[in-house]
Amino acid sequence: MKLPLHLIADQFARRERTRRHFFNDCAVGLGSLGLAGLLSNGALLNAATPVGGDDPRSTNPLAPLKGHFPAKAKRVIYLFMAGGPSQLELFDNKPKLQELDGQVIPESYVKNKRFAFLKADAKLLGTKRTFQKWGEAGTEISTLLPNIASLADDIAVVRSMKTDVFNHGPAKMFTNTGSPRFGRPSMGAWVTYGIGSESNSLPGFVVLHSGPRGPRGGTPLWGSGFLPSTYQGVPFLNAADPILNLSNPQGIDDERQSDFIDTVSALNNERLKALGDPEIATRIATYEMAYRMQSSAPELMDLAGEPKHVLESYNADPSTPSFGRNCLLARRLIEKGVRFVQLYHTDWDHHGNPGTNLQDSLDDRCKEVDGPAAALVRDLKQRGLLEDTLVVWGGEFGRTPQGEPRDVPGRDHHIEAYSIWMAGGGIKGGQTIGTTDEIGYYSVEDQVHVHDLQATILHLLGLDHLQLTYRFQGRDFRLTDVAGKVVNKLLA
Amino acid sequence: MTMTFHSVRRRGLFIGRLLCAVAAIFCSVNVFAADESKIDFVVQIKPLLDTHCLSCHDNDDPQSDFKVASLGSMKVGGLRGPAVVPGDPEASWLLKSLVGTDDLPRMPHEQEPLTADEIALITTWIKQGAEGPEGEIAASEYKSDHWAFQPIARPAAPSVTQPNWLRNPIDAFVMARLDEAKIAPAPDADLSTLIRRVSLDLTGLPPSPQELDDFLNDHSPDAYERLVDRLLASPQYGERQARFWLDAARYADSNGFTIDAERSIWKYRDWVIGAFNRDLPFDRFTIEQIAGDMLPDPSIDQLIATGFHRNTLVNQEGGTDPEQFRVDAVVDRVNTTGTVFLGLTLGCAQCHSHKFDPISQREYYQLYDIFNHGKDVNTVEPTVAVPTPKQAAQLESLKTDLAAAEAPLAVHDAEFIKGLPAWEAEMAAAVQQDPAWQPLDVIEAKGEKGALITKQAEFQLHVDFSAPNNDTYIVTADTPVKEITAVRLEALTHPDLPMNGPGRADNGNFVMTEFEVDAAPVATPDQVQPIKLSHAVADHAQEGFPVTAALDGKSDSGWAINVKSGSLNVNREAVFFPETPIVGENGHRLVIRMRHDSSSPKYLIGRFRLSVSNAPAEGLSLPTAAREILKIAADERTDEQKNQLAEIYKATDKEREPLASRVAELMRQIEALNNAIPTTLVMEEIQQRRESYIQIRGDFLRKGAAVTGGVPTLFPQIETEREIPNRLDFAKWLVDGRNPLTARVTVNRYWQQFFGIGLVDTDNDFGTQGSTPTHAKLLDWLADEFQSTGWGIKQMHRLIVTSATYRQSSRVRPELEEIDPANKLLARQNRIRMEAEILRDVSLEASGLLATELGGKGVFPPQPEGIYIVTQVKKAWPESTGADRYRRGLYTFFWRSSPYPMLPTFDAPDGNTACTRRSRSNTPLQALTMANDRTFFEFAQGLAARVLKEGPTYDEGRLQYAYRAVLSREPTADEQTLLLGFLQRQEESFAATPDEAKTVAPTNVPQEVNLVKAAAWTAVSRVLLNLDELMTRE
Repeated sequence: MKLPLHLIADQFARRERTRRHFFNDCAVGLGSLGLAGLLSNGALLNAATPVGGDDPRSTNPLAPLKGHFPAKAKRVIYLFMAGGPSQLELFDNKPKLQELDGQVIPESYVKNKRFAFLKADAKLLGTKRTFQKWGEAGTEISTLLPNIASLADDIAVVRSMKTDVFNHGPAKMFTNTGSPRFGRPSMGAWVTYGIGSESNSLPGFVVLHSGPRGPRGGTPLWGSGFLPSTYQGVPFLNAADPILNLSNPQGIDDERQSDFIDTVSALNNERLKALGDPEIATRIATYEMAYRMQSSAPELMDLAGEPKHVLESYNADPSTPSFGRNCLLARRLIEKGVRFVQLYHTDWDHHGNPGTNLQDSLDDRCKEVDGPAAALVRDLKQRGLLEDTLVVWGGEFGRTPQGEPRDVPGRDHHIEAYSIWMAGGGIKGGQTIGTTDEIGYYSVEDQVHVHDLQATILHLLGLDHLQLTYRFQGRDFRLTDVAGKVVNKLLA
Repeated sequence: MTMTFHSVRRRGLFIGRLLCAVAAIFCSVNVFAADESKIDFVVQIKPLLDTHCLSCHDNDDPQSDFKVASLGSMKVGGLRGPAVVPGDPEASWLLKSLVGTDDLPRMPHEQEPLTADEIALITTWIKQGAEGPEGEIAASEYKSDHWAFQPIARPAAPSVTQPNWLRNPIDAFVMARLDEAKIAPAPDADLSTLIRRVSLDLTGLPPSPQELDDFLNDHSPDAYERLVDRLLASPQYGERQARFWLDAARYADSNGFTIDAERSIWKYRDWVIGAFNRDLPFDRFTIEQIAGDMLPDPSIDQLIATGFHRNTLVNQEGGTDPEQFRVDAVVDRVNTTGTVFLGLTLGCAQCHSHKFDPISQREYYQLYDIFNHGKDVNTVEPTVAVPTPKQAAQLESLKTDLAAAEAPLAVHDAEFIKGLPAWEAEMAAAVQQDPAWQPLDVIEAKGEKGALITKQAEFQLHVDFSAPNNDTYIVTADTPVKEITAVRLEALTHPDLPMNGPGRADNGNFVMTEFEVDAAPVATPDQVQPIKLSHAVADHAQEGFPVTAALDGKSDSGWAINVKSGSLNVNREAVFFPETPIVGENGHRLVIRMRHDSSSPKYLIGRFRLSVSNAPAEGLSLPTAAREILKIAADERTDEQKNQLAEIYKATDKEREPLASRVAELMRQIEALNNAIPTTLVMEEIQQRRESYIQIRGDFLRKGAAVTGGVPTLFPQIETEREIPNRLDFAKWLVDGRNPLTARVTVNRYWQQFFGIGLVDTDNDFGTQGSTPTHAKLLDWLADEFQSTGWGIKQMHRLIVTSATYRQSSRVRPELEEIDPANKLLARQNRIRMEAEILRDVSLEASGLLATELGGKGVFPPQPEGIYIVTQVKKAWPESTGADRYRRGLYTFFWRSSPYPMLPTFDAPDGNTACTRRSRSNTPLQALTMANDRTFFEFAQGLAARVLKEGPTYDEGRLQYAYRAVLSREPTADEQTLLLGFLQRQEESFAATPDEAKTVAPTNVPQEVNLVKAAAWTAVSRVLLNLDELMTRE
């Protein structure tokens, strides 16, 4: 049975189709007490929004829906390592590359290839890092990531990732939207469009950020493209207000704000009665939801109640923005029913300049990320959340086997083969998918293209990537464009 | 030969060796072809093709766009080019594919191959000239009976049951369909709703209370028509209409992608506003935007208009391939043109022939060729400067002055240069020993405005790309050098800088307007004192930008390094000398400021190193580069080295200064003036046409057959006087009376504007997958009316908004829920949530704050803090003050990578691709914006002040005044009760907290109104500005 996604084709069309009465069918809770008295039957549907029903989205476009088939994962935490971490230092040990260190790469590898900065006669660069086998699975992982490595039996490492574009902006767009060009919805947007969110006081798709700057590519990375903007990711800020305009204006205290919301809703309700347009009911619901967000988002950000050992395990200082703090926030977000959380951690672009190299810069990134990412997986596991929470760790591409002719060791962008790892939500841990050739240039077995990864993530969430479509400019678009195969080996 | 072919195949040596095999066949065929008689196409060849090829290469859905149905179509061939080249079997893809050579799979794909004899037969036939009878020659043409591709015919207005209801022919078409369904139209909207509706639709602003009263009191029969005429004539009409068009034109103020630097193209935005206001007919509106640059002797306005297709993105990220992004831009132009003018999803045909519409991939690339000859290659250029008449005159006069000042300087230089050999010889002797430079190990380096400066190896300092405009670098360092005789600044290249730097300007240049040194004994680092620098030398300085200009205390002069020839992107150095050496027992704390206050704000140094020396100043006066050159024997120096020395020699010319400074001053003035003159991106055709190819699967690296400009055969053909039609021919074709789409698509968009949804609800897909029109005859009548009355836009808008159909009430009609749930029959108006910009405009107008100035550079209204935390580059947002804070929404500066947050929150498009219909979402983030954003709170305060000043002195009266100002109507009794109750509660609440009352109350209220009352009225105003009714056009 096909998902009733057509129901949310566009606000306007939906409004035209939907003429059921607000008081009986309003699917969004109207929590504020002041309003209760105004509703004749007092039938407030608080808290949970229904799954199922014939059109739960008539007034709440984020109402949870069932997928195409039963889901293994209910939510996603995507740890996006912006800049392209070097798989050759972290996950893909290549002794042969070390042997060939300093030699010019054979022409057969680079004929007709394009690179951002490298020349065709660049020299191969063996890693200076050491690898070990970890866990019962014996997964080979660099000693730079001892904590992640200690989870070797919980995670699946994919060493055969492949992408199509080699500049940061377009490549991030590709990983997130399935296209290197602007205008397509991001993965989180597709997911919330497909199955909604279980939170009624927080956005369904939240983006967190750490590192010295925002990721290249900017807002389109979590944009909704041609989907209604309801589905776009909401970036939480490392500021007093995690969401723009979350605080009351100066001089407006909570009581005044509550009265304000109630009065707006009451007047809108008068209008609804006079005109009968259910869009007004939706408007009332959004004000109520906004009001709930005003208290729930700061609560979420307030880590005072987290035990000291938890904070320490995440390496999170409650008052300082960091990847560790974001990992902890991610757990708190999914606990509140948020569907898709994406964490960007920037500065993995290690070309080989001071500050961006495979020496101290890589050390620093690994130190920032290793502990907290592992703590997140462990914490989820301990809370019983890992089994239906998918965790993905990876960047927009990898780095070349060739080194760059710069001051310090570094590598250029590489799209033919790179590594990511996944855990939880339907993933079979303790395994490695794919192998690369002896210098790590090409995948030679089980190549996983970005579109395959996307298809797999949707699959785990109970969505068929071929069926999750949206008609725009005459074409049914989907996250995986015209490709994508579910990677069955990854599935538990 | 049979043997050759099969044996090769058996050995499985396919790709490489088959070429030989083919050659073998061709050769061997030649051997006996001579005695073959003439081959009959119909009898001998056609049956072969029909049997083996036709099932996949028929006319309907041909694989690889290759059709075997006729001889003509085979000569045209598929994606890779002609399948049959008469007389040349080796060039014929048909044969190559039957054998399976190059990267082609052997055809018929996964079927039995043709026998060698059959292949030989075809080979011979091609060799003989590939002839066939007349009837076989025509290339097959696409035919379509799809409604939108048929010529536009003007239907007669139908007769109806209630002719009294009709106000113009539109209504007859609408009523005819209502009659069929036995539905009566809705009553007219009440007058206050009507004036609000038509004011919002035509100007994007609600009526003022005065305008409302005037209209309500005007009982003349044509009161409404006169209202419409007034609105159409108001300058705000152009602003409102421009916004729709700017969405389609993907207008924005930045280049897009990662770097997303500012671009100046707002003149185009103003051109669109002006075009609507002066009612430029749509055909000219189209031609000037698509090809204004190719019109004979184009005016500057016509050049500006071509900005339409310069709204494509430019990727300035390091390591990008410009050709890739040029191709992307051309593709975008084709697709945008298809969407905007033709209502076609041409983009589908970029990668494969259109699945649903009769447009082949070849035809797509014929359109591509039309747009493939622009001068821009992932660049901002070409641009055109648009000076005011006054600026143009100033520029002319400055250039005259400059020529006059340069003449005596040239004479002087010619004389002085004669001393060069002697100077070189003298200096060569002096440089045998290198002076020692001690690099400064920096304690702290930062930009005054926030530039991120990081320490790198070898004491280099790197300035992050996020450096704000006109920043001043402040570098603090301690040095053990006791006697400092000079400070050296090296500006260094680096791959992360634009063009490798050393500056951060797009070309790698910089202008350092001032270099300042403060020093203190190292023991008392806080007590730094300014050091007077007496002179400076540099290894190179741009004409008009000598290094000494960095010491003159003037912010409009400085050191820059552009070159007249060669590369500017090389390391440069300047040495600055204190008037007297800086002397101290244990070394010094130095604080060095590098100012960049030039009128070219991005001209910052990108990477540098600072050093000090204690060597005698005389020995330091030659820059390192010059010293190295002087060590080379005179006759071994390159021309470049010689030039460099000459330049340094010239800098020692003390008498040159007065003459040169006049030239420099004039050049600075010209530069400043040029910077003040706005430029705008324009289209320009290159002289030498580019070759255009079909791109296999849309990949620009995989070239298929060459193509030249043309339009799909589906359409009336393009007229041209040239061999190949160009962009201007194409522009004219778009608005040719025979074009079945442009007029239909355009009037449908106008309908969409005025009813929220078009007669064809898929406004950007008039192809076979789009919706059929709800009122096909009305659409055709409107399209014909539009064309036949000369494409007048205002006239068309007037026609629609004066119809009875438009004037109906928008109240939902429960009795029609079953019959017409989507209101397709137009038995009422639709309610429309207004666009982001219009929400701002309406709130501004209601609050009395709106600044009505037309056009100009983008402005920066207040935005919430923290929005750049998530973008790579921190975007400049110099918050506007004064009237610019209160400009209409379409003037808000638009960064593609981080738009003003309110805009995307309310579904404004991102400016990356054409948007012809915005979605209308309804989200909690919208509620947070309207309720809490400080901009909207400021509007609420403005509204409160307005009500308290302009309204009566009692609260009921004030509320009525506020309702009329905000919602163009009186409040109902229930509404009044609710709001007065709210007002009272808020007053009580604020009375308890006077400080908060003061924060909330507007400042400029009448004296007799106390703070508590004023604050409570801000609260009431805030409620009104958050009502669904405010956001909705009824």
